[in-house]
Amino acid sequence: MKSLLKQSVLMLSALGLLGAGIAVAADSGKIPRLANGRPDFSGIWQTTSLADYDLEPHAGRKDAPPGLGIVEEGEIPYTAQALAKKQKYFAARESEDPRLKCWTLGTPRGIYYPEPFQIFERAEDLTVVFEFGDSVRTIHTNGTLHPVDTDHEFWLGDSRGHWEGDTLVVDVRDFNDETWLSRAGDFHDEALHVVERWKFVDPNTIEYRATLEDPGVYSKPWNIDVFLYRHREKNFQLIENYCYTHDYDQYYPVPAPPSAANVH
Amino acid sequence: MNLPKINYSGRRRLILAVLGFALAPVIGSGQQPPAPAATAPATGAPRAAPQQARPAGGIGYEKTVPVIKEGKWTGKRLPDGQPDVSGDWSNTIANHNNTTDPQGGIPGDPQAARSGNRRPLGPREERAPSRVSDPADGQLPYLPWARAKQEEFAKGFFVGTRPEWVEPLARCAPAGIPKSFYWHGYEIRQYPGYVLFLFNSGWRIIYLADPNHLPPSIKLWQGDSRGHWEGNTLVVDVSNLNSKARFGRTGEFTTENVHVVEKFIFDNSNQRYNYVATFTDPDAFSRPFTVTVPAKRWTVDSPPNGWHYEVPLANTTDGRKIPDHFERICVENNGGFGRGAAPASTASTVSPVTAPSTPPATNP
Repeated sequence: MKSLLKQSVLMLSALGLLGAGIAVAADSGKIPRLANGRPDFSGIWQTTSLADYDLEPHAGRKDAPPGLGIVEEGEIPYTAQALAKKQKYFAARESEDPRLKCWTLGTPRGIYYPEPFQIFERAEDLTVVFEFGDSVRTIHTNGTLHPVDTDHEFWLGDSRGHWEGDTLVVDVRDFNDETWLSRAGDFHDEALHVVERWKFVDPNTIEYRATLEDPGVYSKPWNIDVFLYRHREKNFQLIENYCYTHDYDQYYPVPAPPSAANVH
Repeated sequence: MNLPKINYSGRRRLILAVLGFALAPVIGSGQQPPAPAATAPATGAPRAAPQQARPAGGIGYEKTVPVIKEGKWTGKRLPDGQPDVSGDWSNTIANHNNTTDPQGGIPGDPQAARSGNRRPLGPREERAPSRVSDPADGQLPYLPWARAKQEEFAKGFFVGTRPEWVEPLARCAPAGIPKSFYWHGYEIRQYPGYVLFLFNSGWRIIYLADPNHLPPSIKLWQGDSRGHWEGNTLVVDVSNLNSKARFGRTGEFTTENVHVVEKFIFDNSNQRYNYVATFTDPDAFSRPFTVTVPAKRWTVDSPPNGWHYEVPLANTTDGRKIPDHFERICVENNGGFGRGAAPASTASTVSPVTAPSTPPATNP
C-alpha cells in the first residue's frame, strides 16, 4: 500500500513535470472527494453552452444565438408524428415554453439551463437546488430503488444513482409530460427515461452526459453531452428566484403607513 | 401536452393546497367525528381520529411549549463539528390558521361551525399559548396603522375579491418567515458550511461560513440567512426579506425593513427543538417581539401523518427502513387557484381534480 502510494506520488510528479499538455490528467487526480472517497460534486455549477436555446445544430436566429447543439447524434430521432408536434411547439415557442411560466424545468433541462444550480452532496444523496423556480431534486445514492408505484409523474423524475468508479450514474424515471427540453419546443411524454452520467473532467468542470429514451416520441435512444463549470467568482451564491411569483408580486406591495402609501 | 393549456394537472401540489386549506380542519381536529374511511386514504391524509385516541395524529396535538435551554450540545456531531440535527421535523401545535391563538380556529371564519380546527379546540385556557412569546400578553405590538392592515387582511382572506386578499401561499409563494415552520413538515440537511431547510413550499440555505448579507436592494421571500452554532443552538441572522409572505391566516406581516434573529434551540435528546425568532421592525411595531414554535422530530417509526410527515418508506430490497423524500413542487397551480382559506364549498369544487398521486404516508 505504502509503495503504491509512493508510486502514485512519483507518477503525479512526473506528470506535473511533463507540463501543460496533460494538465487535465493531473488535475483529475485531485478532484474533490467525500470522506468515503466518492467524487464530491458539491458546489455551484452552470453551463456556458447554448443548449437551452436549441439542442440541435442551428444557425443564429432572432431568438437564439447559433450553436452546434449538444446532441451526440446531431439530431433528435423523433418519430414522424412527434416531429410534427415538435414543429408545432417550435412555431409557438415564444408563448408556450413552460419556462416562461417558470414551471420546473425538468430533467435534464434544469442542468443545462443558463442559470446556476448548487449541489450539496452527502454519502446517501446529492441535493440539487436550482436557482430557477423553487425546484429541489434529490439524487438518492443510498441503494434505494425507484418507488414501487410508477405513476407519481414527477416534474424532475425520480432519481436513483450509483457509482461506477468516479462516474455518478443516475437512472431517472416517472416524469410528467409538462416540461420541454429546450426553448425550441423539444419535448417528451410521461414515458421518458433518462440515464445520466456525471464525471469530473477536472476539479472545476463536470462532463454531464445523458441518454434519453421515450419510445412514443423518439425512434431510438439519443444522447447529450455538455460541460458544467464551477462558479468560482468571489462571493458567488445562489439567489432565490421563485420566478412564478413575479406575475403576482405587484399584488403584494410592502404594507406601509397610509401616509407613506399616499406618496407613491 | 395540449398547447394552450391551463394546467391543473399538477395533481400533487393541488392536493397539498387542498389538504392545507380545506382538509386540514378535518385532520387537525380532536373533536371532529372521523372522516369517512373512503375519502381520507384517497387524499393521502391519515384518517381523522379523536385526539385522545391518537395523540400523535392530526396537526395540532400538543398544547404546551417545552422548556429547552440554550447550552452545551452533547448529542452526535457531523465530521465538520456541527450538531447533527438532520432529518424530518414539524411543529407540534397547529397550522397557520391563527398566529396568536394557534388552536383557536380562524377568527371570524364563516365556516367555523362546519368543522375542525376552523373553530377553537376547547376554551382558551385549555388551548396552546400564543406563538408570540414576548410581549407577555401574546399579542403582536403593532403600530395602529399596521394593526388595521393586519385586520384588513384577516377579513379580506374570507372575501378574496382583491388580489392582496389571496394568501400568497395559496398561489405557491414560499411560506416565508416564520410560517415555514408551521406549514407542513420539513427536512434539515447539513453540510460543511451550510444548513439546508427543505420546506413544503420553498427552501432556505443558511450560510455558516460567511456572515455578510446580500446587498440590501435584493429582497427575497425567504430572506438572506447567515448562521452559526452556539452549543445546542443554531443562531441565524435574517435580512433582505421582501415582506410579502404572511404569518398565517390571520394576516400578520412585517415590513421589508424587518430584521430577524432566529434561534433553533435543540434538545440534547435530538427529538425536539424550539424555534425562537425575534423580530425587530420599527416601521410596523412599537417594540421587538418574539415568536416561539416548538418542533418535534419525525422518523420512519413515527405514526402515520400526511400533514407533518409526507415521507413514504423507500423501496429497498434488504429490509432497511429508509425515509424517501420526493420532490415538493408548487408552481403549476398558481394561476387560478385562488382564495387561500376559501370556504370548504369552494375547495370541494377543486378537489375532484386532485387524483391521489401524492404517496400516502405508508409507514406502518
